[in-house]
Amino acid sequence: MKAAQAKAGRRSMSISRLTWINVAKDLRLEWRSRDVLNSMLFFSLLVVVIFSFAFSPTAEESRRMVGGLVWTAFLFSTIMALNQSWARELRNGVLDAYRVSPAPAEALFFGKCLGNFILVMLLECLMAPLFVVFYNLSSVGPLWQLAVIAVLGTWALVVNGTFFAAMSIRTRNRELMLPLLLLPISIPAVVAMVTATTDVLTGDFSPMSQIKFLAGYCVIFTTACFLLFQTVLNAE
Amino acid sequence: MRSRIFFVLLMITLGLLGWGTYQALVVAPPEATMGDAQRIFYYHVPAATAASILFWCNFAASLWYLWKRSPVADAMAVTGAEVGVVFFSVVLISGPIWARYAWGTFWVWDARLTTSLILWLLYVSYLVLRNSSEVGSTSVLAASLAVFAALDMPIVYMSNRWFRTSHPQPMIGTPNLNPEMQKVLLWNMLAFCLFALMIAWFRYELERISQKINHLHIQKAAHGSMAMALPLMFFFADDKLLREKMVQHHYMVAGYVAVWTIYIGYLLFLMRKLARLKKEEAELRAG
Amino acid sequence: MQPGRFYVLRGENGAGKSTLLRMIAGLNEPTEGSILVFGAPNRQALHQMGYMAHAPLLYDELDGMENLRFFAQLYGVDSDQPLVEAMQRVGLDPVLNRRVGQYSQGMRQRLSLARAIFHSPRLLLLDEPFSNVDPESALQIAKLLAAMRRGGNTILLVTHQIGLLSNLADEYLMLSHGQLVDRGFMPGVPA
Repeated sequence: MKAAQAKAGRRSMSISRLTWINVAKDLRLEWRSRDVLNSMLFFSLLVVVIFSFAFSPTAEESRRMVGGLVWTAFLFSTIMALNQSWARELRNGVLDAYRVSPAPAEALFFGKCLGNFILVMLLECLMAPLFVVFYNLSSVGPLWQLAVIAVLGTWALVVNGTFFAAMSIRTRNRELMLPLLLLPISIPAVVAMVTATTDVLTGDFSPMSQIKFLAGYCVIFTTACFLLFQTVLNAE
Repeated sequence: MRSRIFFVLLMITLGLLGWGTYQALVVAPPEATMGDAQRIFYYHVPAATAASILFWCNFAASLWYLWKRSPVADAMAVTGAEVGVVFFSVVLISGPIWARYAWGTFWVWDARLTTSLILWLLYVSYLVLRNSSEVGSTSVLAASLAVFAALDMPIVYMSNRWFRTSHPQPMIGTPNLNPEMQKVLLWNMLAFCLFALMIAWFRYELERISQKINHLHIQKAAHGSMAMALPLMFFFADDKLLREKMVQHHYMVAGYVAVWTIYIGYLLFLMRKLARLKKEEAELRAG
Repeated sequence: MQPGRFYVLRGENGAGKSTLLRMIAGLNEPTEGSILVFGAPNRQALHQMGYMAHAPLLYDELDGMENLRFFAQLYGVDSDQPLVEAMQRVGLDPVLNRRVGQYSQGMRQRLSLARAIFHSPRLLLLDEPFSNVDPESALQIAKLLAAMRRGGNTILLVTHQIGLLSNLADEYLMLSHGQLVDRGFMPGVPA
């Protein structure tokens, strides 16, 4: 009788469906505790304020400068978010419960990526007006390009970051390993993001080649992470 | 049997190193504009070649490990990475010493140099990962990282080529070598590649012993010297010293001293590791 | 091991009991050989296994039913019915809104057990389920295990507290340094 009951409630488990389940769970956990969002916001705010004490740029100068500043702030905020999000899985050992279930590891990976992506995009939306205000920012190039760069750049950081954060679970200095692993690999993406952002803001060059580059980078590394995640998760 | 081959090859290597150095210092004609300081080139390029080969070995071994999980593959992977980092550090130290003289600045952010720096950073992070990961997961994690590093390298190179075209490109390498210099270079290439092979072989055997004793301690005493060299490379501000004031000779000597300190330091580190492993093995057998 | 029986794993600390359970559950890889569960490689039989460790394996910020619902979806179970039943069987109130972080240890272990059994697994792997648990919860858990044993499920349990199980378990397996050194029927287990 129990077996029949169980079968009645069962549905096929596709990766996309399980991914959304994971995203929903992560967002709900975040909403309940809000630690990731708080620490990210606080950190970004600190960066904005401190640097605006350091320079008070004219509109022209700020356009050249802000690209690097913004992406540095977001890069480090992303790292904080990633560390926290995996730390949550390790508390109480919940990750083991996931691994013991028949759900595929890739769904866990994409769920985490999307969850982190949403959080970081939220951060960027909240911080953007602050940057505009503090640095007298106005863009010469079209804004939709900035949006595309933000989406691609954030995904590039988040996908590699989630993967390396999962790797650093099994290392001694967890919080230190993530930036150590992530930063060298992300350098080409970060260079592209920063130059693209600066190009759009100043209107000097077209950012299309950087955007295409970022898109290619995202595709390559998303595929690599997808293929290797199960191996890394079960490396014990 | 194997140790006899090793010994013979070692003698040949030492002989070739001596011959190559003699060729580089005495036989090779001084270069037109840079004089003696240019002689750094004769071990800089071979070290770069050796390091590239070693990193390719690491990539291939990592793929093999991910496919077959063989401990031989793992040993080859760590050998390739570690010895590669040693030789590549030589490249990154001798390069700026030479560049300071040749261009007046220690560093420029052009495609090849930036790629090299990132490659070095990637492999250092590989070694740190191996060092600080839990036993049992080390090999798999490191192999995955190696795959990522290998994926990243062409991307880094291309990104630099595309995005830095607005910046001036100083000439790297010497496309028109006169034939005498070419000969000297080839001798040194042979000598240093053999040298790299000997060190890699030694390292590989150590790793196999270590695997067999089931210990995977990797203490990196040698990294102290590399960490000290690091600040030198970020000295990329252009300065106002005139070329006439720099003594070509001092640069050449500085290059040799720095480089051989690294090699000898690494060899000493490997000897110490061997002694420690032997002690552990003796203890295990007695107990 | 035969299906439908209740096995207890014993041995001193570090003998490898937890590791064995983890290997069966697919969390650790065996250095040699492979593991078959009900005739299939263990990684393909995951939906027939339930695992409980002495860490609760639950999310502190979610309440009982939310935790169970998440795990239920991982196993492809969509309705709440088996979850409510599982909670009732372990003696917890399904309507309770409290976050798991505020549960007592006994309640957490009971919820963890509910997580392990809601999908009616044929094989139950339990690692120290009674550690740090109040006597009342421990009794509840033991009664539930007895019921499952009667229902034909196979149970593999690691514990130091033999007393509770002397009337429930069928056989014991003694491990030392990662090897099986002794097995026998219960009771009659040396103290």
